[in-house]
Amino acid sequence: MRVLLVEDDGMIGAAVQDALRDESYAVDWIKNGSSALTTLATQHYDLVLLDLGLPGQDGMQVLERLRQGNNPVPVLVITARDGLEDRVRGLDLGADDYVLKPFQMKELLARMRAVVRRKGGQGKPQLSNGLLTLDPVQHEVTVLGQAPVALSHREFSLLQALMLRPGAILSRAELEDRVYGWGEEVESNAIEFLIHALRKKIGAPNIKNVRGVGWLVFKAV
Amino acid sequence: MRRWIGDSIRVRLSLGLSAAILVVAAVAGVFSFLGARDEANELQDETLQQVATLLAQVSVPDERLDQLGTATAGDEFKLLVQTLGAATLAAGDLPLRADLGEGFHTLQIGGVAYRVLVKKTLDGQRIAVSQSQSLRDEIAREGALRTLLPLLILLPVLLWVVADLVRRLLAPVTDLAAEIEGRQVEALHPMVSEGLPTEIQPFVEAINRLLARVAQSVEVQRRFIADAAHELRSPLTALSLQAERLERAEMSDTARKRLQILSEGIARGRHLLEQLLNLARVRADTQAPQAGVSVDQVLRRALADVLPLAEARQIDIGLLPGPDLCLPVAEIDLLLIVKNLVENAVRYTPEGGQVDVSVSLFEGLAQIAVEDNGPGIAIEERERVFDAFYRVLGSEQTGSGLGLTIVRAAVERLGGKMVLTDAARFAQGLRASVWLPGSR
Repeated sequence: MRVLLVEDDGMIGAAVQDALRDESYAVDWIKNGSSALTTLATQHYDLVLLDLGLPGQDGMQVLERLRQGNNPVPVLVITARDGLEDRVRGLDLGADDYVLKPFQMKELLARMRAVVRRKGGQGKPQLSNGLLTLDPVQHEVTVLGQAPVALSHREFSLLQALMLRPGAILSRAELEDRVYGWGEEVESNAIEFLIHALRKKIGAPNIKNVRGVGWLVFKAV
Repeated sequence: MRRWIGDSIRVRLSLGLSAAILVVAAVAGVFSFLGARDEANELQDETLQQVATLLAQVSVPDERLDQLGTATAGDEFKLLVQTLGAATLAAGDLPLRADLGEGFHTLQIGGVAYRVLVKKTLDGQRIAVSQSQSLRDEIAREGALRTLLPLLILLPVLLWVVADLVRRLLAPVTDLAAEIEGRQVEALHPMVSEGLPTEIQPFVEAINRLLARVAQSVEVQRRFIADAAHELRSPLTALSLQAERLERAEMSDTARKRLQILSEGIARGRHLLEQLLNLARVRADTQAPQAGVSVDQVLRRALADVLPLAEARQIDIGLLPGPDLCLPVAEIDLLLIVKNLVENAVRYTPEGGQVDVSVSLFEGLAQIAVEDNGPGIAIEERERVFDAFYRVLGSEQTGSGLGLTIVRAAVERLGGKMVLTDAARFAQGLRASVWLPGSR
């Protein structure tokens, strides 16, 4: 996969380039906006990593030109500005996602994968937080280093709800909404019952309860 | 006290006006007293004159004259009428010299002063009409005092009116001072100068200009902090990416341990940077009022953010049952408040401790309280912990030192209040409560 990195900061650029190469991406690194546009006009890329604070033409202008020229290449914006207007403007101008500095390489890689998956529609449907991997086709969950375990329909729905947003706490009401359809009778302790069953299968620490709030699975670390 | 009297316009005005009124009243009083007395004296002289003229025309015999004198005796206006040059003095007659000239005389007879009018009658007799001077004086004094009475009664009223008027006129100044005094540190909006006396207007306008300049310089500083923090993001990103990259390299165990410490240091730097930016954000100009934000949602986000730290420190963190409130605030402000409070509680409570978050509604105010069973904060330090970069002695935690500063700034921006008290649910610990104006 070929990636264009537009970043004027030497140290960041070098680190990102090296890290991407380690992940087997083909990376071209360009340090200003004008050259980025020229390069993008002549060369096909699967993804552009675009820093907003560029000398000459800044990232927003590059993005605007790019989209005006009907170039559909996925763009992941890297920015040090976290003002809401900046983010909204970036997304409005056609960015696919943004990463806020200072970021970690793991995060950047994860977002790159997500953007490519969304754009290409070829994303792998599996959900994972690093410890647990959920296979929505087989309704199976795999705990890292163990054999896959089959889940019941409701257990799967519940775990899927949690794994769609690892690290976020979901309340009982939210889980009931996800697991049960309209008009379905819900027992008062149904969610606890399902959690109990799931914990038996995948180990209690994998689903964390926050007293008075709800449940979550941890984010990838 | 002396200084106070000397410095207060109000006291000076009141005293000055009162003194002026007293002096004017005194002078006016003296004049009207003297004038009234003279008037009374003249009036009495006229009475003497009239009596004498009357008697001179009707030619009354001596014995009748004596009766006349007796008849008027005991009266206030006691008049003595006698014929001058009579061979014997009738009882009550004054020993007047026979050669007294016609007209008014003031004579001392037997140690008593008399006013005497001598007049020739039609039949050539000379009669004298006399009146005791002390009696006359008394009448004159009484008359004069009566003219002073209204002035004496009105004087205290006038003094009170002056004091009241001065107080009222200076009330805008007092109010203005109270308004400035009662301001929050960061409230730099201009003062309202409408309805103020024209003399004070320039003063208020000058203060407003000063406020504007201060606000501008505060804004410049805030911007500088925000810009500096933003600028720091890039080098810090470079640093953390390089450290991350280094982790993949082959290295000895010692090197790896040191890299671990280095990475922790970088993480601290990132955290401090984020907190600096948060502080700049909550100190920025007030945003437009927001549509409602669910406290429950924000709490959940905050708890989810802090959970990894709580897990690492084995702290039982939870939410007590309570209402889900909807507050008209910016979500980011509320998140910063709750997250920093919970993070502080988790950070400064010993491992294995407990942190409880509760939400309640009391008389239209929303209270969000975070309570822990940690060591608490000594009462004398509870104000200082809000200062940026202040750390309680003896705590080994490496927070940014900005958490409570951010919370207070955000709370004040939302028009709320923040209080630190002893834990209510635990034997020891800290309870940090935030009161926010809100609606259900």
